[in-house]
Amino acid sequence: MSGENSIEIVDVTKRFGSFTAVDNVSLSIKRGEFFSLLGPSGCGKTTLLRMIAGFEQPEVGQLILNGDDITRLPPNERKVNTIFQSYALFPHMTLWDNIAYGLKIARRSSREIKSEVEKMLSLIQMEDHAYKKPDQISGGQKQRVAIARALINKPQVLLLDEPLAALDLKLRQRMLIELDNIHDEVGITFIYVTHDQGEAMSLSDRIAVMNKGRIEQIGKPGEIYEAPRSSFVAAFIGDTNFFEGTVAEAIDDDYNRTRVDGLGDVICFNDKNIQLNAPIHLSIRPEKFRISRDQPEAQPKHNVLSGVVEDIVYLGSHTRYWVRTGDYRISINQQHGRFLLDERPIKWKDHVFVWWHADDGFMLEQYSESDEQLMTLPDAPATTVS
Amino acid sequence: MFTTVLVLLFFYIPILLLVLNSFNAARFGGQWEGFTLDWYVRLFNDGPIWTALRNTLIIAVSSTLVSMVLGTLAAFALHRYNTRLQRIHYTLIYTPLVVPDILMGMSLLLFFVAAGLQLGLTTIFLAHVSFCISYVAMVVLARLQDFDFSVIEASQDLGAGWWDTTWRVLLPMLAPGIAAGGLLAFTLSIDDFVITFFVSGPGSTTLPIRIYSMMKHSRNMPIINALSTLLLVVTFIAVWSSQRLTREKRT
Amino acid sequence: MNHLAAKRKSLTEWLVTTPSFVWLIIFFVLPTITIFAIAFRPTNIDGGIGGGWTLDTWRSLANPNYPVIVWRTLRLSVATTFICLAFAVPCGYFMARVRDSWRQTLLLLVVVPFWTNFLVRVFAWRELLHPEGWLKQGLVFLGLASPDAQLLYNEYAVLLVLIYTHLPFAILPVYAAAEKFDFRLMEAARDLGAGALRAFWNVFIPGISRGLLTAFLVVFIPALGSYVIPDIMGGPSGEMIGNKIAQRTFSDRNWPHASGLSALLTLAVLGPMVVVLMLQGRKQPSPGGEKKT
Repeated sequence: MSGENSIEIVDVTKRFGSFTAVDNVSLSIKRGEFFSLLGPSGCGKTTLLRMIAGFEQPEVGQLILNGDDITRLPPNERKVNTIFQSYALFPHMTLWDNIAYGLKIARRSSREIKSEVEKMLSLIQMEDHAYKKPDQISGGQKQRVAIARALINKPQVLLLDEPLAALDLKLRQRMLIELDNIHDEVGITFIYVTHDQGEAMSLSDRIAVMNKGRIEQIGKPGEIYEAPRSSFVAAFIGDTNFFEGTVAEAIDDDYNRTRVDGLGDVICFNDKNIQLNAPIHLSIRPEKFRISRDQPEAQPKHNVLSGVVEDIVYLGSHTRYWVRTGDYRISINQQHGRFLLDERPIKWKDHVFVWWHADDGFMLEQYSESDEQLMTLPDAPATTVS
Repeated sequence: MFTTVLVLLFFYIPILLLVLNSFNAARFGGQWEGFTLDWYVRLFNDGPIWTALRNTLIIAVSSTLVSMVLGTLAAFALHRYNTRLQRIHYTLIYTPLVVPDILMGMSLLLFFVAAGLQLGLTTIFLAHVSFCISYVAMVVLARLQDFDFSVIEASQDLGAGWWDTTWRVLLPMLAPGIAAGGLLAFTLSIDDFVITFFVSGPGSTTLPIRIYSMMKHSRNMPIINALSTLLLVVTFIAVWSSQRLTREKRT
Repeated sequence: MNHLAAKRKSLTEWLVTTPSFVWLIIFFVLPTITIFAIAFRPTNIDGGIGGGWTLDTWRSLANPNYPVIVWRTLRLSVATTFICLAFAVPCGYFMARVRDSWRQTLLLLVVVPFWTNFLVRVFAWRELLHPEGWLKQGLVFLGLASPDAQLLYNEYAVLLVLIYTHLPFAILPVYAAAEKFDFRLMEAARDLGAGALRAFWNVFIPGISRGLLTAFLVVFIPALGSYVIPDIMGGPSGEMIGNKIAQRTFSDRNWPHASGLSALLTLAVLGPMVVVLMLQGRKQPSPGGEKKT
């Protein structure tokens, strides 16, 4: 049954006092997969990782590693290893001793330890630094030593707890590629915890988006971005515009008309079979809009609005516009396909038309009050004006 | 700046004059009557002083070792757990630091007598451990504040049980802090007069008690100068070498 | 399982807490309670502690001798504390602002007297102030003192040495706080129009208030319990409560009486301690480390 699954998490719940950190989570991760747990801080992703490592005990539920129940095993008896956010290198040992630690604990012969450590040092290209102490090397190098120290034990799963959070942007991008290469090379399961959607998107085979101790959605990076299953996912992954409304009328099996308060009626793709008169949120990503001063030709399944440009931010590869229409401020990304200076650019206070294809909007159940704060965090000024 | 220089002069002038006087032939320090090592010769021939020194060292070494163990455990408990028990524990550790010596000496004296204990080296040892625990605990606790506990988890994660983790990671990393605490405890034990004075009995004279009784009764004050000078030299060497040690570790 | 883990965790806590906890209960808390208990016991003729309970000791504390000594003890302790703080603040400020290499040296220079035997430091002053000592001779030579002026055995000699021995304890916490102080705040205050002195007073002093509180605690409370310094420097006209306790214990062998005085001193010490701990507690909710050295 667990033939191709590396880790199975079955109905796991963890509480700290009255706070539920992980709430009835079930999850299967395939062997060799690069799997990310993505979510804002406090969503339970780190707690879940720490339970897999054995630092926390679940109240309820089971953890299965390659078919064996490891729920009750202490961390030192699990064939999983962790890359800590702070790297947690032993400051009083040389890099060599740090990497050798796991093998020394396992009482391997010194000859074997020597050859394994040298292999690891060459994998991370740190042969010249073997006898330095951790405080004598850079953040990126510490990161690599931490990886070597974990991998030398040949773990079945490698757990990474926000491993790039302490690095600067340039280094982070380089380590991203390095992590990807190491994963390809060793071929074991990686479970990667992060709050950075960019990291998760670029590295992962699959992502689980977590919120308040629950998993909101599991899927490939593209699925999660293009077809978010909840308002939370839509808002947390990338930017989006939310419109509040109710389903007014079904057009056919796939489409319906939705009444958006303070804006009017729009055509929506209804993939979730939402009932008539149900309150919904309509999510449309900024890059799905088209914007122009000239009225577009009428096309089926298109929605067209008109409004006034309130803000423009030029961002090099694209420009972001905020357009006031009805009660809404819509944020729009326009990619620059052609040499921009040749065009007659849209200016502040211009009257413009904004349109999108009905398939590019997503109807989602209405989010709860407490989600709202999270969703307005990224620069999404598309909030209603009351 | 001016104040600092003034304060440092204030600190050191009395000590320097004391050292100077230990080589002064005059019995009272006001005049220079020529250089002499006479006081040092007399010091070396003073048997009771050497007995007192031996007692002092026995007490200092034993109470330092015991308080290092107890203080380190206490610091670990205070840092690791955040329970009501630890809040009481913290008050217990903190209070002896500020309670005046005389109260501690007086209360221990009455307690030992009430408990029927013979006053002597044992009671001095018990008393010294009691005030050294707090100092060791505070020094180790301060080191623990910047201790990254994820290394403990890293060690477990890499397969080590609590025994390996304690001996290979926790203790080596805390060693400088524990040593600093121990050094402080050792100095305080050697230095203590008031508490020792209260709980000492016949035959358990320590160096500070001997110095005190010489100050009160002896006619040979300059012997104390000579002894003080020797103590100063030992202190300076100890402080200087411990500074050297920690500095080498840092680079 | 979770139960078991929680149990194991509390067992570990219990294991590492018990040794120091029990030790301090036995050798610190119980003795303190003993003091209060014995203060209610009658005196035996031979100096021991009699049976039964009595308020005799507490009545005898009304002896007109005591208010004078209590008042002197308070006066000297308060004076010591304020003079120490007055010197410690500029020293701490200066040490926190000098270059790093200098800072280490200065710190060492402040700590070394603290590592020097306490009795030796007191004795050094006794030598200086002695009728035949350097200071006395010097002052007479400069015509600042008459040959028969008595520098030793008075309150001022006690105060001087109290300051001398406690000043390092005041400088260290003030320096520790000043070192963590963000001096850009002073520049901000100057930028907003405050004078140098005003910036110092309005920004720096509140910024190091934690250090000042600690300094107050570690100077004032030990000063209250001083015994050796008044004994050696003060003579009868410089006696403090500590001397009375020792005198009742050793010379008179009146232990209930000594206990009564100790109990009184304990109460006097607890007052400021509770106040300061509460003030500190308000600033720092968790019991963090208070480094004393």
